[in-house]
Amino acid sequence: MAESGTISVPTAARRRRVTLRIPPISVLLLLIIVLMCVFAPLVTPFGPNDVDPAHPFAAASGQHWLGTDELGRDLLTRLLYGGRLSLTVCAGSVVIAFLIGTIWGVSAAERRGFVEEILMRTADVTMAIPQILFALVCVAAFGASLLSLTVITGLLLAPTSARMARSVTIQETSLDYYSAGIAYGAGKIRLLTREVFPNILPALASQAVINAASAMILEASLSFVGLGVQPPQMSWGVLLQQGYGFLYNDPTYAVAPAVLILVTVFCLNLAANRLGSTRHRKVVRP
Amino acid sequence: MQFVIKRVVISAILLVATSVLIFAILRALPGDPVAARLGTAQGVNQAMIDRLRSSAGLDRPLVSQYFSWVAGMTHGNLGRSYFTDRQVSSMILSALGPTLELTVLGVALSVLVAVPAAMAAARRPRGWLDRSITAIASAGMAFPPFVAGILLIIVFSITVHWFPARGFIPLTQDPVQNLRSMILPSISLAAGAAPLILRYLRSELVTALNSDYVRTAAGKGAPERRVMLRHALPNAALPSLTMIGLITGYTLGGSVVVEYVFGFSGLGALSVQAAFRRDYAVLQSVVLLISALFILVSLTVDLLGWWLDPRTRGHRG
Repeated sequence: MAESGTISVPTAARRRRVTLRIPPISVLLLLIIVLMCVFAPLVTPFGPNDVDPAHPFAAASGQHWLGTDELGRDLLTRLLYGGRLSLTVCAGSVVIAFLIGTIWGVSAAERRGFVEEILMRTADVTMAIPQILFALVCVAAFGASLLSLTVITGLLLAPTSARMARSVTIQETSLDYYSAGIAYGAGKIRLLTREVFPNILPALASQAVINAASAMILEASLSFVGLGVQPPQMSWGVLLQQGYGFLYNDPTYAVAPAVLILVTVFCLNLAANRLGSTRHRKVVRP
Repeated sequence: MQFVIKRVVISAILLVATSVLIFAILRALPGDPVAARLGTAQGVNQAMIDRLRSSAGLDRPLVSQYFSWVAGMTHGNLGRSYFTDRQVSSMILSALGPTLELTVLGVALSVLVAVPAAMAAARRPRGWLDRSITAIASAGMAFPPFVAGILLIIVFSITVHWFPARGFIPLTQDPVQNLRSMILPSISLAAGAAPLILRYLRSELVTALNSDYVRTAAGKGAPERRVMLRHALPNAALPSLTMIGLITGYTLGGSVVVEYVFGFSGLGALSVQAAFRRDYAVLQSVVLLISALFILVSLTVDLLGWWLDPRTRGHRG
């Protein structure tokens, strides 16, 4: 995921934070999960669709660490391959939310008055519909391909990013350096991209990590009810759905993807808290 | 009073804008729900498709479709399902019960858990109790309601047979069984919702407990209980009221998938089914209804806060 890298923010911020050498446990755990999914073929000897009809619902063993599913496929392998899709949707939608939200919020903060009203009231309206229902409407209208799923999730998360971007930009542009820049005759675009953006990046990054957690939950929810990633493609939500069908035969089948979703969301929340708590430090400007 | 009028007007505008947005998204692509309904059926000819289209009003311009939807709403006629031809309003009415009960119980449970926990945590900020409560809260926030639901089913229905795993029994039919079937779903919603109130209320309480009026009350010899309940809590709870609105939104959204997990035929299950079938007539009304509930609760909570606060009551706000 892109967010694990966003800890290292602008150069000014990096110079200050010399004490943070070892990444926190939450980030390390996320990193391990991401790496295991990316390098899944190296981690497990099985393929995600290797069936073994002789051993359905096998218990956890040295060979199958988490046991097998109804067709004797290795559960851990399927989780790792499924994680690729979950993480892709998650990362893709976070990037979309970040880009759209930042432009949305910064332009609202910059063009006060009528434009700001329009932009922020639009955000209010989209946030008046519970996210999952909004997602249902969009999926019904635009279909549930991987691309549309990513775009829909990204667009749904964009208003929260926009609000954050707007409020930090307003704070930032009320500071002296900004008016000094204007007085010097610097262009607004240049000031915003070169001077303001690096300063608001930590806040935006923290919001992006929170968004990653929401995206993970949204994708899992949609896939779980069958309106997200479609089998035979798989994500953690799809695996949870399949495990849910065999709750009485083999609880591990549902527990494994559930725990993986929980751990990822938990770590993302922790990482966002950490980013958030360092973002209010006074920025030393050269 | 000006504040009340302003808040009501804003909510009304929000509601109208929401309905336009939902309608616009569902009609954004030229896909045809009638064709989707007939799908692969044998012997379908163009005349049949046209007849169905006109009975659903799909052959009229979009603007007129929108206004007939809104006009129908004002006297409870939401049109018919493209798929089952049932009245949408009667489908919604029969699905309303489980969702409302689930939402009310989920919010009530969240408040019942969060308020005492916040008071306990705020007594000694950074003490061991505060730290453990905060830690549990942040763990709870990581639980998407449906994941919590599945884990609860495994623990409480499959391992020990305390509660039923699936199914909704109407309150009117058997209140005891109804409550039993509601316990696990409510807990799964509250797991994520309670921490939201708890964190906010805790920090408000900490501020209140550090204020001069609390020091005065304690100095006059009021017992700790009284200081907490009579002096600190009312002042801290007032700004936390807003969180109730937020929680309701969370619970309404969460109930969509929770209903699926527990096999309730509520509004959430109805909307999932409608999204599957591309049954726009049902989907648009259900989603609008849930959004309207959310907007209404937020409005009520805001007005309640305005009315309860002696500083703003009767003034602007």
